[in-house]
Amino acid sequence: MLTWFKALDRVLKGEATRLDSLRGGSIALPFGGLSVLLILLGAVYGACMGAFALMGRWGTDTQASGYLQMLASASKVPMLFSLTLLVTFPSLYVFNALVGSRLGFASVGRLMVAALAVTMAVLASFGTILVFFSLCTTSYPFIVLLNVVMFAIAGVLGMRFLLQTLHRLAVARELDDAAAIVPTPIAVTAPTEVPAESIAPQAYSSELPASVSKPPGALDRIEGHAFGPHVRSIFKIWILVFGLVGAQMGWVLRPFIGNPNAPFTFFRERESNFFEAVVNKIGEVATWDTKKAKPARQRHDDRAGMPLPPATTKTYTGD
Amino acid sequence: MRSFLRQTDRLLRGRDVAGDESPRSALPRLLLTIGLFGVLYGATMGTFGGLTAERWLQPVYSGLKVPLLLLVTFVLSLPSFFVLNTILGLRADFAYVLRSLVAMQAGITVILASLAPFTAFWYASVEDYNAALMFNALMFAIASIAGQFTLKRSYKPLIARDPRHRLMMRGWLLIYAFVGIQMGWVLRPFVGSPDAPTRFFRQGAWGNAYVEVFHIAGRAMGW
Repeated sequence: MLTWFKALDRVLKGEATRLDSLRGGSIALPFGGLSVLLILLGAVYGACMGAFALMGRWGTDTQASGYLQMLASASKVPMLFSLTLLVTFPSLYVFNALVGSRLGFASVGRLMVAALAVTMAVLASFGTILVFFSLCTTSYPFIVLLNVVMFAIAGVLGMRFLLQTLHRLAVARELDDAAAIVPTPIAVTAPTEVPAESIAPQAYSSELPASVSKPPGALDRIEGHAFGPHVRSIFKIWILVFGLVGAQMGWVLRPFIGNPNAPFTFFRERESNFFEAVVNKIGEVATWDTKKAKPARQRHDDRAGMPLPPATTKTYTGD
Repeated sequence: MRSFLRQTDRLLRGRDVAGDESPRSALPRLLLTIGLFGVLYGATMGTFGGLTAERWLQPVYSGLKVPLLLLVTFVLSLPSFFVLNTILGLRADFAYVLRSLVAMQAGITVILASLAPFTAFWYASVEDYNAALMFNALMFAIASIAGQFTLKRSYKPLIARDPRHRLMMRGWLLIYAFVGIQMGWVLRPFVGSPDAPTRFFRQGAWGNAYVEVFHIAGRAMGW
């Protein structure tokens, strides 16, 4: 378990995706262990998501269904990510092979797990803030909006990591090839940045830990040639598809947050789809009537619900 | 005591950054600064209702709440900030980052404490409760803007080492303010209305500051 956490830490710090770690053409990480960890992280965030439903029912006779919602959300967030991956992975792999990428099945799989690790770690780390707001907020749309923002930030960072790592894999592969042709060891291209010490004021620089050549972070771009443009566009298209499928998957798996006015259900009725709902919501914002939309649950006073935002990103998974 | 005050002086002058102590030994001192000076301002804040026999608890409560406001906000915001720093590749500097963040909060409390006489003077001269609220809001605004300078100053060497720290510093201010505003709302009352009984938390006062603002704005717009 500890080694899994260490592996996660290495991915986050960017150590696992440094050029010298990628020389074998794949990211070295414990695939199974990290997957288990990802499920746990997703469950942590899911439980934080479900806290709102629990707080809304706290002290009432439906408190038990609040716990149920929490459990349901904790199981649904890992489900959301793994099912989306399950749907999109085969075609990604096939098209990736079709355009002549040299990434093998295992390499693509590891790449996915590493990218999801970044997403889930960011998401889970937002959990404390989410629970705090769940504790003191009665407005359901506010919590939905907050979740949308958190998912969007985590999603963008994960996707950026994916594209950068893909690029690095290509650079590492090229270095491997060069080393195969010319048997002299080739120095791994260090990031060409001005050594920080020369800029830093002398009084301070002695105090900070000395690191002249900064190791690149997990999201930094490394100089060098990338894969062929096809492989990159395949992954870019895949990111779009992942986002679309993920959004719809989130819609199918609703409710995540659990409207406090609605009774607990593990799944809701299958109605319309995510994209139709977004279009409807945009229409709703224009015609939203605050007086009509007052929630039935009134903990302290009559606080009307805030209209749902029209801007719902593709990582939207609210219900 | 004397060395503690001297260190606080160094903190204000921005000489604390590269001080001769490690982040590890600086943290307890900075936390003590937050506690002491936060209580000082909070207690002054709570004297609005007067120091009568039945209201003497309000200064105590308010005194506890100011450090609580800062530190709980800090603890809640820290995990996400830690992960974001890590994936930007800034983990190696995190001890210094942590210290800068705590130093910022210490700076805020010291500035607040220095403004406490103004608050006391205001209470002595104006009797209106809403005016007292506004005055305290102003003092907090001044302290948090001034506190940002403390943060910028202690971040300067970090930014010089790695420009990505600038992005993270802005990110921190965003997260901290987002959580802190709501925390301030939840921890009400700070001033303590003279008509209401003294309580640690106001009855039924939970709710969301942002939603409230939205409603007030909505009402003002006539929605």
